[in-house]
Amino acid sequence: MAYLTGYQYYENSGTAPQNANWGSYQYVSLEDIVNNFMLMYVGNNELLNNIERYQVLFHAKRAIQELNYDAFKEIKILELDVCNNLRFILPPDYVNYVRISLYKGGMLYPLTENIQTNWASSYLQDNNCKVLFDQDGNVLQAEFSQLDADRIAGTKKSIYLNPSSPYDGRYGWNVDGCWYFDYGVGARFGLNTETANSNPTYKIDKKAGVINFSSGMANQLCIIEYVSDGMENGNDSSVTVNKMFEDYIYAYIKFVILNSKFGVQEYIVNRARKDKSALLRNAKIRLSDIHPGRLLMNLRGQDKWLK
Amino acid sequence: MINSVRNSVLSIINKNNYGYISPSDFNLFAEQAQMDLFEDYFYLYNSQIVKENKRLSGSGYADITKGLIEVIDSFSVETFLTQVGVANTYNLPVDYYLIDKIFYYSTLLDSGSTDGATTAFKLIDSTASFTSTVSVGSIVVNTTDTTQAYVVAVDSATQLSLSANIMATGENFSIYSNTNIKEVERVTQNKIFRLTNSNLTAPTTSYPAYVLGGATSTLLGNTITVYPSSITGAADIKTQYVRYPRPPKWTYTQLTGGEPLFNPNAADFQDFELPDSDEPMIINKILEYAGLSIRETAVSRFGSAQEAEENKQEN
Repeated sequence: MAYLTGYQYYENSGTAPQNANWGSYQYVSLEDIVNNFMLMYVGNNELLNNIERYQVLFHAKRAIQELNYDAFKEIKILELDVCNNLRFILPPDYVNYVRISLYKGGMLYPLTENIQTNWASSYLQDNNCKVLFDQDGNVLQAEFSQLDADRIAGTKKSIYLNPSSPYDGRYGWNVDGCWYFDYGVGARFGLNTETANSNPTYKIDKKAGVINFSSGMANQLCIIEYVSDGMENGNDSSVTVNKMFEDYIYAYIKFVILNSKFGVQEYIVNRARKDKSALLRNAKIRLSDIHPGRLLMNLRGQDKWLK
Repeated sequence: MINSVRNSVLSIINKNNYGYISPSDFNLFAEQAQMDLFEDYFYLYNSQIVKENKRLSGSGYADITKGLIEVIDSFSVETFLTQVGVANTYNLPVDYYLIDKIFYYSTLLDSGSTDGATTAFKLIDSTASFTSTVSVGSIVVNTTDTTQAYVVAVDSATQLSLSANIMATGENFSIYSNTNIKEVERVTQNKIFRLTNSNLTAPTTSYPAYVLGGATSTLLGNTITVYPSSITGAADIKTQYVRYPRPPKWTYTQLTGGEPLFNPNAADFQDFELPDSDEPMIINKILEYAGLSIRETAVSRFGSAQEAEENKQEN
């Protein structure tokens, strides 16, 4: 990637979008990585020769994908309304989520994933519980299962301490600091901390590509923090990597190619493996954002008096 | 060089006045000898690389590889390819020995046809607006004859100054940016299907690929197909290739009742294209063929022995 002038950087040379180059110096492009690798690591006098560019491209992209899942810490954040159907369609470049929050009254409330399921498919059945089929032999499915219908209608009870809890608004008896209710099976001693959360809950239906929320999320704003794989929707010219990881990617490509090549001595493969691992460790430490200033802020609390 | 080669050959084989070879025979032997030696350069280059990797090669004056590369590079040609129809298929040059690189010129700045009077080193198109599309350094391709030049100056909206005199009136041109040029990767026929179906490595305009092919039931293939198939510009594809050496031709003026007299000014004269240092090897090779031709085994054996000796020294 060519170096930019100040005008190119700040104003994108007067063309839209103006912010196209902001922060770009942190990154090296996939194009540069592949080109540099072919130039510096592949040749008649190098460890690697007679390999195709597409092999390098493939391994470079695989490395970038893996790094995007955790090491990069490049979180994407999307805000969307959850409507009455309590469904949030996953972003198009979604791979995994980091956190899902409710934004309400100027506050972010981190949500908890429901430990139970809150969605199900449903087959149509007759009075004798026999499954019904269409003329092609396919099972007939209901648009909503009873579970989904109840959840959307807000009648599904929740084991969480939110308004859908069966205990919400009920009277009980406090004996020696513990609450007792005269319904339900058995006594209840203290909180189940796993479900002690009053916010709405969610469950991700990965195959369907949606997040199903409990009824408390109807018409609320949802913020999802998630990771993608860095492939920029297939646009190779936009794929970039933080410069901290540039050397690691070269080492990774070198290792995986040597590792899968016939007749390469084991000590060379091992050397490449160690190289790769050491560089990944280095890059992760560099990118870990452990700044003295932040440490100081936390350590200032060490002499607090506890009551 | 060709005349001194011929004189040497004749002086060796014509000792007893029965070893004369005609100019046409000499030209045939010379072409064969040159081709042999030309191909040897690639094998020599390879064996030299093996030596280098065994640390059996030196640097500086001992860098044999450098000399070999220089000779091979002296046959390197760059040219834009002509398109077959309007698809992503392009004709290869007829004289190529080895395709080294294929380039994709991805940014077409302007195209059109020249009009007005033909002016040397100028491109004139009265319908163009070059001032807003073209800059100095852009590459101009004459798509009528695939010649190329660089823009030296943008004279006006309708006129460019070029680094070479390539445009005449009524010819078509394409102008490309001299940046954003992509190398097109060679892929074998048995890989291209999987490559184009791969999510991560499918050819794109950033990483294009090509396959050689185009054979019919009667003709050998001499085309490349470029992927992605959206690459269809008439002059989008350029190649850098190693061409065959041109067949040497010892030309002469016929004297009545005498020896043909060497004439290097003939229109079809062609000297050897290999370096002067190859003269002894060329002579040896020609002697091998000439010895066979005149049934003189001693000459053939001499040529072979000399060639073996030379090879021994080089290796």
